Amino acid sequence: MKKRFNPIKDKSSEIIEFLMASPDMPDDEALCFKLRLSIEEAVENVVRYAYDGGIGWLEAGTSLDHDSLILTIELRDAGVPFNPLEKDDPDITLSAEEREIGGLGIFLCKKMMDSIQYRYEDGNNILTMTKKV
Amino acid sequence: MNVTITNQDNKTLVVLDGRLDTSNADQFQQDIAPLMEGDKPDIDIDCAAMSYTSSQGLRLFLMLQKSVMARGGKMVMRNMNPQVKEVFDITGFSNIITII
Repeated sequence: MKKRFNPIKDKSSEIIEFLMASPDMPDDEALCFKLRLSIEEAVENVVRYAYDGGIGWLEAGTSLDHDSLILTIELRDAGVPFNPLEKDDPDITLSAEEREIGGLGIFLCKKMMDSIQYRYEDGNNILTMTKKV
Repeated sequence: MNVTITNQDNKTLVVLDGRLDTSNADQFQQDIAPLMEGDKPDIDIDCAAMSYTSSQGLRLFLMLQKSVMARGGKMVMRNMNPQVKEVFDITGFSNIITII
């Protein structure tokens, strides 16, 4: 299932709940925690940074391969070209004083999902995350 | 997310209940504002009923931890559910915040 949200300013919660309500989502509470977290971080990234002032669209969708049980979550937007995977991971060995506040979102997606890929195609940012469910 | 703050002797007891995410992080920041004041704070946070936190919550816990340390105080977070604990572990926050 797939839906285009437009505009996306202040719509994070609506987009997250749309994806979490997909029939492709598993029943397992621990898995849903990881999926919700990854979805929230990825959606927030688009809502906050893709468009100047949040005026633009985001297409959010899920699909489930019933043989492999691999769930795919795809986010597509036409905002500023931005590959979130190019950002360095935070140094998690630093002390509290040294740690910067922020920069954890995409890192959490990488850790919680099995795979995360980015491509720029036909003027769209496309982020694809997968998880065995 | 419901935040209950109780001052008892020289300790500040905090009970968190609910989900901390992008929809309520701003409200949570206002709710914990009293914890950002005072010398040598001694803060005890019960997380048993906190069901979820995203990076929006993490950044506020880090901000609070930094503030507490800068004021010569201490802070512990207790009774985290395993999923929330995993988020703190993965991000290295378990090393910079005392979790018991």
